[in-house]
Amino acid sequence: MSATHAAGAAPMGASASPALPRWSRVLAVGVLLALLAFAIFGPLANLFLWAFAEKWYFPNKLPQEFGLKFWEQVFAPRGNAIASLGTSIWIALLTVVFSLAVAVPAGYALARLRLRWRSLILLAFLLPQAVPNLPVYVNIARVFYEIGLAGTVTGVVLVHASHGLVLAVWIASAAFASIDVSLEEAARNIGASPWTCFRTVTLPLAAPGLIASAIFVFLESLDEFTGTYFVGVPDVTTLPLLMFNASMGGNYQIASITALLLLVPSIGFMLVVERFLKADVLAMVGR
Amino acid sequence: MNAREEAGAGWRGYALVAPALAVIALFFVLPLGLSAVLAFRAKDGGLTLEHFAKSWELYQTDLTFTIGIVLLSTVLIGMVAILVAGYLTLGENPRAVAILRWLYRWPLFIPFIVTGQIMRTFLAKNGMLNHVLVGSGLIDPLAAQSVLDWRGIVIAFVWKQAPFVTLLLAGAMASLETQHIEAGRNLGAPRWRVLVDIVLPQVRGTLLVGLVLSFVTMLSVLSVPLMINPNSPTMITVDVAYRINTHGDYAVANALCLMSLVVAAIGAWFYLRQSTRALARQR
Amino acid sequence: MKIRQLLVAAAVAAVAAGTAALPASGQTLNVITAGDQNMVDYVNNYLGPKFEAMNPGVKVKAVGTGPGDSGSQKIYEKLSAQQKAGTAAWDVDVAVVHQRGAATMVNEKLLMAYRDDVAAGKLVSRDSAKNALGANVDGYVLPMFHSQIAFAYNPDVVKNPPKTFAELAEWAKKNPKQFGYNGVKGGMSGVGFVTAWVSANSGIADKLENGPYDPASKAAIDKSLASLKDFNQYVVMTPGNAGTLDMLNRGEIAMGPVWVDMFYTWQADGKLNPKIKLSLPSPGMPGQPMYYVIPTKAANAAIAKKFIDFAESPEVQADGIVKQFNWYPGIDPKFVQAKLSPADWNKLFTDISPADLSKNGRPFPLSQYFTDIVEGYERVVLK
Repeated sequence: MSATHAAGAAPMGASASPALPRWSRVLAVGVLLALLAFAIFGPLANLFLWAFAEKWYFPNKLPQEFGLKFWEQVFAPRGNAIASLGTSIWIALLTVVFSLAVAVPAGYALARLRLRWRSLILLAFLLPQAVPNLPVYVNIARVFYEIGLAGTVTGVVLVHASHGLVLAVWIASAAFASIDVSLEEAARNIGASPWTCFRTVTLPLAAPGLIASAIFVFLESLDEFTGTYFVGVPDVTTLPLLMFNASMGGNYQIASITALLLLVPSIGFMLVVERFLKADVLAMVGR
Repeated sequence: MNAREEAGAGWRGYALVAPALAVIALFFVLPLGLSAVLAFRAKDGGLTLEHFAKSWELYQTDLTFTIGIVLLSTVLIGMVAILVAGYLTLGENPRAVAILRWLYRWPLFIPFIVTGQIMRTFLAKNGMLNHVLVGSGLIDPLAAQSVLDWRGIVIAFVWKQAPFVTLLLAGAMASLETQHIEAGRNLGAPRWRVLVDIVLPQVRGTLLVGLVLSFVTMLSVLSVPLMINPNSPTMITVDVAYRINTHGDYAVANALCLMSLVVAAIGAWFYLRQSTRALARQR
Repeated sequence: MKIRQLLVAAAVAAVAAGTAALPASGQTLNVITAGDQNMVDYVNNYLGPKFEAMNPGVKVKAVGTGPGDSGSQKIYEKLSAQQKAGTAAWDVDVAVVHQRGAATMVNEKLLMAYRDDVAAGKLVSRDSAKNALGANVDGYVLPMFHSQIAFAYNPDVVKNPPKTFAELAEWAKKNPKQFGYNGVKGGMSGVGFVTAWVSANSGIADKLENGPYDPASKAAIDKSLASLKDFNQYVVMTPGNAGTLDMLNRGEIAMGPVWVDMFYTWQADGKLNPKIKLSLPSPGMPGQPMYYVIPTKAANAAIAKKFIDFAESPEVQADGIVKQFNWYPGIDPKFVQAKLSPADWNKLFTDISPADLSKNGRPFPLSQYFTDIVEGYERVVLK
C-alpha cells in the first residue's frame, strides 16, 4: 500500500547491519549536524553581534563595546529607517492586492476551466522565472523615466507585482486545483449560481493556499532589491535599499539592524508556514 | 456535467486570465523586446554588433566568471540538496532527521540582500569564519585570507539557494511510493544505493526544475556580487549596473543582458522541456 | 479567527505607517544629493534642523543617490526626464552634484544661474567655482566644500610612508596585499588614485589637468595603465570608499587612498583607529568640490536660494563643513578661519599641512581625459 506523507518522512525500518558501531554513527551524524548549524547560524550570529556593537576594531574577536546607540539612530524621528519601513510595507501591501486581484481569477481559470491553450498559458507564466530579470528591470526603469513613473511608488509596485504575479498564479492555481471538485458540483446541483458557488464554497476552501500565496508575494516584495534599485531610486527608499546604502557606506551596525528588521516578517512566516501550505497544495504547484 | 466542462465557453476562461497575461506582456515581454532593440541599435538607428563587441572587449573576464560562478554554485547546490533531502527521506535517527528538517530551512527566508550583508562581515579576512578557524587551531593566523571574492559569491549563493532545492526535492521524495524504498532496503541495499538507484531517478524531474530555477535566479542577482565583491572578476550584473549608473550606457548594458539571457535560455530549455513533459503526462 | 484579526491589525498598522511616511503639508524643500551617506546626514541632521528653525513652516527633505559620478548621473537623469516631459515645476529644489554632473547639466540647460542672487556668491574665490574640469559653469554653481584624497596608513606597519608613486610601487612589491583601493567602480577615492597614477606615470600631467584635449594622448594613458595593471597584482581591491577605511580599521590592509573628510569623520565616530595617519604623495592626488545647484524649474526656487545662502554662510561653513564634517571649506578659507578656534582649524591640517595641500592637492583631469582614463582602466587593467 502506498502512503503519502509530508516532507521529512518518518524514518524507514531497520535494514541490514551497518558497518560502524551505532555510537560512532551517532557521533558522526552529530558532528555533521553541528557543522551545518554553524554554517547556518554563524553568519546570523555575526549579524546580531554587529547589530549590538558600538565599537569594534581589529584585532578584537568580539566588539569592544556593546550598546544600543545605533538602534537609537535607526529609530530616530528624522532617521530614514522608519520611513523606509513604512514605504516597504506600503508597497508590499499594494503589490499583494494587485497581484491577487489579477492572479485569483487567472488561477481559477487555469485550475477549473477547460482552456484550449492551457498548457501554453501555463508556460507563459513560467517564463518570468526562466529568464533573468535584470534586463527586464533595467529597461522597465528606462520606459518609466519616459512616462514619469520612475521614482514613484506606483512604478515600484508594478515592478514588484509583475514578478510576484508568477508565484501568485502558480500557488492560486494549485490551491484551486486541490479542492475536491465534487464539493463544487454539490453546490451547483442544489442550484447555486457560479458566482455564489465560488464565493461560498471555492474561495473559503482555497483560502489557506491563497493566503500563503499572498504572504509569499508580500515577502518577495518586502525583500526586493534589484528592481527597486533601478526603478525607485532616488525617491522611493525601501528598507533593502537603505540597508544596502548603509552597508556600502561602511556602517555595518545600521546595515545589520535594518537587516534584522527585514528578517522579522520572513522568519515569522517561516515559523507559521506549515499551517497554510499543506503538502497536497505544495504537491500541486506547477501541475 | 462537471464543473470543468460547464464553463467550457472559452471566452469566460480567457477573460479571467487576460489581465494576468497582460501584466506579463507589458512588464516582462515588452522590456525584453526593448532590451533586444537597444542592444542592436546603432547611433544612427541601424543594426550593429558594436555593442556586443565592446561588451566582449571590456567584460570577457566577467562573462566567463559569471558562467563559472553560477555553474559551480548549481552543482554544489545539487550535491547539498541530494544529501540533505536523501537523509531526510532515508535517515534512521528520528532525532537527527527532526533537527535537520528544522535546521536546513532557515536560509530560505533570508533575502539575497541580507545574505550579501551577513556574508560580507562573516567571510572577511578578520571576520567570524576566520576567527573560528584560527581559534580552533584549524588554520594558521597568517594563512587567514579573505574569501570576499568569487568564492564568497559562490558561498552566498549555495547558502541561500540550497535549502530551496532541498525543500522541493524532499517534497518530491516524500511523495514517492515507499514500497520501492522498502523493497530495496529489504533486499539489503545500503541506504546510499537506495538513494542513487531508486530514489534519485524518480525525482530527477524535480531536481532538474529546482536546479534550473536556481541557475536562472542566480544569473540575475545584483545585490550579492555588489556587496561581496564589486571588483573584477565579478558577475555581469555588477557591470550592467555600472554601465547604466555611471555612463547611462543602455546599449552595452543591454548587450550584456542579452548575453546572459542566452546562457539562461540554455538552462530554461531544460526547464521548459521538463515542464511540458510533466504537463503532457497529466493529460 | 485569530489569524484574521491579526492580519487586519497588521494591515491597519501598515497603512498608518505608510501614511506617516508621506510628507506633511506646508512647504517642503526637496534636496537631493550625490555622494556617500555622510552627505545625506549633513542635510538631515545638521543643515535641515537649523534651517527649519529659522524658517518655520518649511520642511527640509534630503535624499541620497549614492557615491561617485553614478550618483550625479541619477540626478541628471531625473532632471532630464522632467525637462523632456515638459513638467512645469520640477520636484528637486536643491541638488548637490559632482563636477562632471554639473558640467553636463549646465550644458543641457538644466540649471538656474543663481550665484548673483545669493549673498554668499561673493565669498567664493577658487577657480572651481567657475570651472568644472574644463567646462564653464560660472554663475550656476557654488562649491559646497572641497575635499581631498590622500593615503591613510597604519604607522605601526608602514614606518616610512611612500612619498612618490614610484616608492609606492616598490613598497607594494615588498609588502604584497597590504595596499588596497577600490578600483574605478566602487567610489571616487579609487578613481582619484587611478587618475593620480596616470598623471604621475604618463608624462602628460599638465595636459591632463589643463588641456587641450588630444585624443592621441590615449597611448600615453594606456601605457601608464599597463604599469598600474602590474601594480595591481600586489594590492587588494576594496569594495568602496568606506570599504578601504573599513579594511584599514580591521587590519586587513595597511594603506589605501581615502577621502580626508571621511577619514576624520570615521575617527571621530570611533569607527577608525585613532593612530592611523594621512600622507599626500607627490606629484599629487586629486580633490574635488561638490556643487550646490538649483534646477531651472525648481518648484521652490526662492527657498532654495535662501537655503544655499545659509549653507554657504561663514558660520555654517565653519561649524558644519569644517568642524563637524571635516571638509575643506567651499568659500574662501579666510572667511571661515576667522570663525573657528585655532585648534579646530588646525585639526584639518594635522598630517597634511596647507603647504602640502597647495603643492600636491590637484584637481581631477579634464572631463574627456577622465573618460579616457576610466575606460582605459577597464580595457587595459581589468582584462
